[in-house]
Amino acid sequence: MKTILAVDDSATMREMVAFVLESAGYRVIEAEDGAQGLDRATATSVDLVITDQNMPNMDGLTLVRSLRELRDYKSVPILLLTTESSDAMKAQGRAAGATGWLVKPFDPATLLEVVQKVLR
Amino acid sequence: MSEEHGARDAAQAADLLVTVATSLNERLALTAGELARSQTMLREASGELMTAFRGAADRIVAAQRSVPSGTPDRRSEYGVVLDHLYRAVEHLQSHDLVNQLIDAQKTRVDKMREQLEQALALASTPVAEPQRPDQWIERSRQMLDCIVAGIRQIDEDARAPVHKDKKHAGSVDLF
Repeated sequence: MKTILAVDDSATMREMVAFVLESAGYRVIEAEDGAQGLDRATATSVDLVITDQNMPNMDGLTLVRSLRELRDYKSVPILLLTTESSDAMKAQGRAAGATGWLVKPFDPATLLEVVQKVLR
Repeated sequence: MSEEHGARDAAQAADLLVTVATSLNERLALTAGELARSQTMLREASGELMTAFRGAADRIVAAQRSVPSGTPDRRSEYGVVLDHLYRAVEHLQSHDLVNQLIDAQKTRVDKMREQLEQALALASTPVAEPQRPDQWIERSRQMLDCIVAGIRQIDEDARAPVHKDKKHAGSVDLF
């Protein structure tokens, strides 16, 4: 079973992501900000990271950069799931090493398609 | 007008500003409380809905797995129910945006209250020479600056809440 780390400061948003992914058979672990996400990712082997951008303590882009510095996360897919939709932010995401950018509110079916695609 | 009368009038004007600042501050405290209450209610309602959705989804997934092979209709019916739950989840995400907007309003109200409290702090310091009107006028001017700065917070983009971008909502970019 693939393990997905969902990072978001909104507990309900994490629940929503977990709800969709678990109903499709994935195991989901959660973190409430980038710093906790980094801790979880280093403590557990994760197949995919889905993170929000605007969070206290550590934002999503910093989390992406921090994970990409770790040997185990050089090629693990990382998706940004955020209300931010500007091209400039997406360019920053790409430069940081993110695999993709999804704009909230997400369509659960689309999220599952993207997850399946990047985990292939 | 004698300096004594001038000082008395100026002191009364300063008192008027204290009344205004106190009254505004009390009303804003009520607003802050209502915003916090709304946020809590929203969080609780969203949490309860998600718990119910997850419970329903678990049952559907379990039921889907227990459908004997050769009955694809039943399996697809469960899929339709799950799709309805997914649709509900998509719309429930609005709570996140509303939460951000409430956060921005709370920050704005807090900043307004900070300025009003500064004005009230000025009023609580004794005037060095109360018989001099210019000292009362200077105090009133400082208090008024704080009150105006507080009111100006209404126009400040407190923490730039992210607005729902209908054009890009749900969009996907894979790099």
